[in-house]
Amino acid sequence: MNDQTVSEARLGSILATAVDGIIVIDDKMNVLVFNAACERLFGYYATEVIGRNVKVLMPEGYASQHDDYVRNYMRTGEKKIIGIGREVSARHKDGTVIPIELSVGEAATTPGRQFVGILRDLRPRKAVERRVSQLQAQLVHLARVSAMDEMGAAIAHELNQPLTAVMLYLQAAERSLKKLNGDSPHDPAIANLLQKGLREADRASSIIQRMRNFVERREPERRWIDIVNLIDDSVDLTLLGANANTVRVRRRYEESLPDVEADPVQIQQILVNVLRNAVEASRGAREPWLAVSTAFTGSSVTVSVEDSGPGIPSEVMPTLFKAFSTGKRTGMGLGLAISRTIAQNHGGDLTVDPGGNGRGATFILTLPAKADAPRRAD
Amino acid sequence: MAVFVIEDDEAVRDALVILLSQFGHQVSGYPDAESFLTDVLPGEDDVVLIDLGLPGLPGNQLLRWLNALAAPPRVVVISGQSQSAILDAMRDFSAVPVLRKPLTVGSLSAVL
Ligand SMILES: Nc1ncnc2c1ncn2[C@@H]1O[C@H](COP(=O)(O)OP(=O)(O)OP(=O)(O)O)[C@@H](O)[C@H]1O
Ligand SMILES: [Mg+2]
Repeated sequence: MNDQTVSEARLGSILATAVDGIIVIDDKMNVLVFNAACERLFGYYATEVIGRNVKVLMPEGYASQHDDYVRNYMRTGEKKIIGIGREVSARHKDGTVIPIELSVGEAATTPGRQFVGILRDLRPRKAVERRVSQLQAQLVHLARVSAMDEMGAAIAHELNQPLTAVMLYLQAAERSLKKLNGDSPHDPAIANLLQKGLREADRASSIIQRMRNFVERREPERRWIDIVNLIDDSVDLTLLGANANTVRVRRRYEESLPDVEADPVQIQQILVNVLRNAVEASRGAREPWLAVSTAFTGSSVTVSVEDSGPGIPSEVMPTLFKAFSTGKRTGMGLGLAISRTIAQNHGGDLTVDPGGNGRGATFILTLPAKADAPRRAD
Repeated sequence: MAVFVIEDDEAVRDALVILLSQFGHQVSGYPDAESFLTDVLPGEDDVVLIDLGLPGLPGNQLLRWLNALAAPPRVVVISGQSQSAILDAMRDFSAVPVLRKPLTVGSLSAVL
């Protein structure tokens, strides 16, 4: 074997084993090399492609522009892709359009200029991106469904008071009437009306009962959880959602925090609500940031979220945690109302330092930690 | 027998006082635990109806206080809160009857 054949053999084995697709074309855009990874990616055998214009591997739009690109480059030397690499679309033999990352290098050889393209299939990455956005949608849905639950519970609670009063008043009236008239009422019409009123109040009460049963079917879950993990997950989820990668997050966690007994999904909901508000409030800041910190006070664990927004105006404070109070055009005004309910159902609370005068708001989630709770060993 | 109603919702308190009076009891109502405690000391034969969600001293704290008396009165808890919140608040008082709102005459007279 002479040197020429040895190096050709080596090149051949590199081309055959390369994970990325490798294509070499000449200055007439005819394919010279089409490696094994390309055969898998495009569904063509090398023999079907070699010698043909590389356009067969491109979808319609690209194909027609490609000639112009290359001609322009040859004339002006202006680089659109060479040495840069970018995301483009390729076309499989069966017509499927495939997202790929393409980087192109140039080589001057004796027969003329040649271009080497390295291609990477982006579909696995796209699948991950899709999965992430699916997860997000799920999270939003989850938050809304459980918002409905919490709303149901809140409405049931609010209606219960007046309804209780109505039923007791009607029953009292009925008894008074009986006492007044003995067993044979002078005016059966009034007794009849009271009966009907009571029956309807009963009906309303059974509707509330059903609503409550529906909500309470979901048993609250309680287990010992490490809140720091939950915080990190919630921060990731929030930043992911708001394409908020411009927001800097500062974390200051206490060395060893005891676990808290809680429903992880619900606590995460509180954290995401508060963090999302913080990101939204910081939107106008020149360098948006938020700070998350934890502390242990001996009887409870606190999580504080401070932001770089304008703070909360004092006239908003009285209704801040009320359902349907929102300062946003697309807000439901449920986030904080639900979050506080959840915190209180856990025996904790959600409070706020409104900030203002250049300071952002700080929301503080408190959850009880048993004094003898197992402290995390670090 | 005296009945004391500790309930912050005015209409519920008023309706309870009227209805229970019709049963022939001596009934008085209070909007919170503090005003009740400064007004009377209930005796062994009395009944105290406590709403769990009171402003100020919570219902279960009042219950704890009453139970610690030398001759504690009978206590009935009423609540419009969720089952889990009730269970949470009543963790230490499994023997105390709890009536969930909306209340009815039937459920009331059953426990009185
Ligand atoms: N960190 C914050 N800084 C300034 N204002 C805030 C902050 N958090 C909440 N707010 C104000 O409180 C209002 C209520 O917040 P809440 O989370 O309850 O509802 P929302 O964000 O408007 O809607 P959603 O139901 O989608 O969460 C917000 O609309 C906003 O005006
Ligand atoms: Mg919100």
